[in-house]
Amino acid sequence: MSDWTREALTDKVFEILRDELLEAAPDFTPQSDLIEAGLDSLAVTQLMLAVEEATGVWVDESLLTPETFASTETLAACVHELVQQG
Amino acid sequence: MSSSSKAELASPERLPLTGADGFLRAFDDEIRRRCGASHVSQLVLRLGQGFDTDAFRELIGRVSRAQPILHAPIRRPGGLGAPIYDLRAASRTPLPVVEVHEPGPRDPERVAALCAARMNQPFDGRRGQLLRFDVLPYDDGTSELVMSWLHMLFDGAGSEAFVEWLEAVHQERRLPSDAPADLPPEPTGAPLGARERGQRATRWQRHLASLTDPPIHSLAGPVRSVRQRLRYTVDTLDRGESERITKIAAERAGFLTPMLHYLAASIRAHDEVFRMRGTDPGGYLVPLPVNRRPKGGDPSPFRTHVSLLWFRVEPELARDGKALIEALKKQRRESIRDGLVEDGHYAMDYARFAPKRLYAHMARRDLAGELCSFFFAFTGEFVAGTDTLCGAPIRAGFHAAPVPPSPGSSTALSHHRGRLSLTHVYQEGALAPEEQEVLRETLLRALAEPD
Repeated sequence: MSDWTREALTDKVFEILRDELLEAAPDFTPQSDLIEAGLDSLAVTQLMLAVEEATGVWVDESLLTPETFASTETLAACVHELVQQG
Repeated sequence: MSSSSKAELASPERLPLTGADGFLRAFDDEIRRRCGASHVSQLVLRLGQGFDTDAFRELIGRVSRAQPILHAPIRRPGGLGAPIYDLRAASRTPLPVVEVHEPGPRDPERVAALCAARMNQPFDGRRGQLLRFDVLPYDDGTSELVMSWLHMLFDGAGSEAFVEWLEAVHQERRLPSDAPADLPPEPTGAPLGARERGQRATRWQRHLASLTDPPIHSLAGPVRSVRQRLRYTVDTLDRGESERITKIAAERAGFLTPMLHYLAASIRAHDEVFRMRGTDPGGYLVPLPVNRRPKGGDPSPFRTHVSLLWFRVEPELARDGKALIEALKKQRRESIRDGLVEDGHYAMDYARFAPKRLYAHMARRDLAGELCSFFFAFTGEFVAGTDTLCGAPIRAGFHAAPVPPSPGSSTALSHHRGRLSLTHVYQEGALAPEEQEVLRETLLRALAEPD
């Protein structure tokens, strides 16, 4: 069981996306659609690697569904559930 | 941005080739010398009724005058430094050709022959021959547009961004001078000094060399001097079959990373031909282009902005669909974690400065006479940013990924409005007709029935 709360993981994922992986527009928020924001195959794997580094759990990309990418919040919620399962 | 890149920023007179451009330029040089052709990429748009050929011709003229890179000679000034697009000299070169052919009945053989002719025709980059268009009008008012270009002018994503931007100019939403910004993207993280960049380039070179032991064999290899005679087949699947395959790809490989399912199917298709021949491929070594543009920005159309991830799997894995895809996922994850996308960028960035023939010599030495097992590309949703071009709806479209006569085989996949297209480009004579059919059938089967 990971120590990460869902809120903390959402903040972490948002920070990585905004600061490292995406050319985020000024209006990019945790509710912004990630596909529209430019998340692609390379960026999603880089993001999962960063999540692994933070939590110690690798989340396979095949576990992420289209609905997952509706926003940072939905993505972080899915990742949080998978991280909790270890 | 690194200091070397700062010194190379575009001027009104010259634009340096990117590292990936330099890589493709070395390919092009090899193909020119050995095979009498060029490394030409192609995009085909199947258009509905209403395509305004006069407006398109006028549009290409306006855009080409505003964007001299489209017909700029590629040179290495004084024989030193990185090669450049000589933008000033573009004022003395012809604009890209738009050839409108005679109308006729719809005939798949006619368009296939035209595409093959363009793909095998030399494009002289030193004279600014970089891009041309062929329009095939049909008696029913529909048409096909074939865009052919010397591959270093656009990568797959860039060629689509170009088409989308053309339509935006046609609709007067953008000006011909208003192309998306064209800066070479730097790897994320802190800028590196020359020494560290060199170390990372060397690491990439060593990684590549390590993948060729034991040596691999392509269906048409090893590299030799034969006339380039490429042709291709394209299969556009119906919506139901496309949806089924897309779903399998998402479940197996990931919604945003379906290309690993498509690559696995391509490996299995090539393996079936090797088994039919009763010869040993040695292993499967395949490069996967990775789009290095900043994510979410206005995509720059011009020049190529890719790095390469290399995969190697042993032949036994090609016979176990589940294990194959897991092996590809693991290699991709480890390569990205180890920074090989960035290392590849640095290696290609340095290699621009090497003479083209030294580049080719190094590639042959490191790859033991082969370039790879086959080429592969997945370009995602095809021209997602527009449904029309110059008055006609875009009904379908696909890329043909070029391949040198050896390895002599490339597969490319893309989606368009829910339909999956598979293009197989091959060197005539490298595969017997029955091998070509086995490859095609196995590819389709492996996509739909991965186990």
